[in-house]
Amino acid sequence: MTKPVLRGLIIAAFFALTAFVLVPVFVPRPAFIPGFAPPPDMWPRTVSTIGIGLGLLALFLAFTRPTTAEERIETDGSSQLQMVLRFLELVVVFGLFLGLLPHLGFLLATMLLTLTVVLLTGERQHRLWIVLLSFVAPVLLLLFFNYSLGTQFPKGVLTKPFGF
Amino acid sequence: MLNDILLALYAVATVQNLLIMIAGIWGGVIVGAIPGMTGTMAVTLALPFTFYMDPVPSILLLVALYKGSTYGGSVSAILIKTPGTASAACTALDGYPLAQQGKAGKALNMALYSSVTGDFISNLSLIFFAAPLAVLALRIGPPEFFMLMLFALTTVAGVSGNSLLLGLVSAALGLLLATVGEDMYGSFRFAFTPDMQAGLSIAPVLIGLFALPELIKLVVMRAAKKEEAATLGAQHVTREEFMGSLRSILKGSVIGSFLGAIPGIGPSSAAFFSYGEAQRSSKNGANFGKGELEGIAASESANNGACGATMIPLLALGVPGDVITGVMLGAFMIQGLTPGPLLFQTNIHEVYMLLIGMLVSSVLLFFAGKATMRMFAKVSYIPQTLLTPLVLLLCIFGIYSIASSTFDVAVLLVMGLVGFGMFLLNIPAAPFLIAFILGPMLEENLRRALAISRGDPAVLLSSPITWIFAVLIVFALSFTLRREIRKSKTERQVPQ
Repeated sequence: MTKPVLRGLIIAAFFALTAFVLVPVFVPRPAFIPGFAPPPDMWPRTVSTIGIGLGLLALFLAFTRPTTAEERIETDGSSQLQMVLRFLELVVVFGLFLGLLPHLGFLLATMLLTLTVVLLTGERQHRLWIVLLSFVAPVLLLLFFNYSLGTQFPKGVLTKPFGF
Repeated sequence: MLNDILLALYAVATVQNLLIMIAGIWGGVIVGAIPGMTGTMAVTLALPFTFYMDPVPSILLLVALYKGSTYGGSVSAILIKTPGTASAACTALDGYPLAQQGKAGKALNMALYSSVTGDFISNLSLIFFAAPLAVLALRIGPPEFFMLMLFALTTVAGVSGNSLLLGLVSAALGLLLATVGEDMYGSFRFAFTPDMQAGLSIAPVLIGLFALPELIKLVVMRAAKKEEAATLGAQHVTREEFMGSLRSILKGSVIGSFLGAIPGIGPSSAAFFSYGEAQRSSKNGANFGKGELEGIAASESANNGACGATMIPLLALGVPGDVITGVMLGAFMIQGLTPGPLLFQTNIHEVYMLLIGMLVSSVLLFFAGKATMRMFAKVSYIPQTLLTPLVLLLCIFGIYSIASSTFDVAVLLVMGLVGFGMFLLNIPAAPFLIAFILGPMLEENLRRALAISRGDPAVLLSSPITWIFAVLIVFALSFTLRREIRKSKTERQVPQ
């Protein structure tokens, strides 16, 4: 399947899902609407319908128009599987960060997130900078936001006894 | 009038006022350059300090912060593709590619020159056209507003990326996302979690969409450019380059001044409008989005051009044009000044002092920009593998601090993934963002117009202004289509 065909399918499917599943379920119509005001689902339904049309048009053009060269994506030469795995790793890391944040607190969670992300980029050379970025920068930022803006960052259930 | 102006100039030119403006501009530039920290935040945080100041210096401080932060947004947009403010999103489209080519200094200089020019012209327009422009802006009702927004969307969809179709898809996605939360009559839409009932904030969506995909690309594809960006010192904008962009700067300044005077439009829409117009009319239009100085010039002149103009409805009618001028309205009231037509009769001396002060602040913006540029230039030396995680860290802290919400942090990360998906599918991000910003206003005005006309859609073509916008929409669409067809023909001829 070529990229334009896949793109057209994804666009049409996403807007169809919104129009036929999400709007009916997650956009409730109030029992009484004052005057001639259009209902709340009018706009999302209109946009989704237009989106379906655009997706189908993209699909039609993908089949009928000669494929023009898409911009080449630069990589380090890794296989597609490797790149998919890297992407999934990052999604898991983001998910873990959000999931662990209430338990570890904002400071520790961001430290771990930063360290993991730096390592995921393949960076291994600047070790001192990795440590400074992962452990010192979050502390400095926390102090800055705390003192200058008065932001209270959430403490973790597990780390609260230690004060962060 | 001349006597009043001279008296005001004399009153403004005090060491105290100049220091206040310098502090405001500089503080604004730094705040604007930090991802997640906005001009609104800077102005709001400074508001309590104004309680202890005289009326004019206090307003000058807030105006200086506003102008500084609007320019500051371009610094991070150019250097790390993270627009500090929504109005700098267009600047990132050409600024970041230029930084990648080692021309960050040129991009920053062009952004500064255009911002200062736009700001100066906007202040002049404020002085001369405050009253007439405000009256014109008041004639714009829901149908006109809807058509104006639709025109903005079609223009942006047409100029971002290589395909009008994908630009429109992107805009539709942005419009859809903007419907999340409570609508104008109190219904909750797509509120999958209680946090979503309040809708999605602009900052996490903006930063997630523009900044995080760079990090994800780096992790997934690891194709970071190993060479460091060149130093900024020798990268001045040449006379030819400035003159080549002058038309777009002047046009952007006028667009910014006009759109800024319309309540609710603000610098972001002005920047997108101007960028679209510059791409349409420039002989370098094909290079926009790939690192074209004129693109930065168009965007920056318009967003700073809108800054001064947003004061027009505030001063002349007492109507704040955006959130920041809303905060300023509060500052005026605290100081015992009531913005509106009467202000020009009862406090004309203060009005002239404010206008003169704004002109002076344009000059100060130039020097503050030059000084800060060198400070931020150090960013160019940081390797990508350390810089992008640092950006992530800044974004997370900045976004959390806006509303103390971990939900916003989640939105930031999810929007990063969405942005990466859009990048893979070649769907441009700019129309998504502008549609997300304009979406609520677009829908509200459509629903209001339909409610007024008892459901008759003909109301959208009921006045000369709506007709003008309708013609402009058709013109913009047909122009973009023609350009695409020509481009596609040329591409097919090349292999032969």
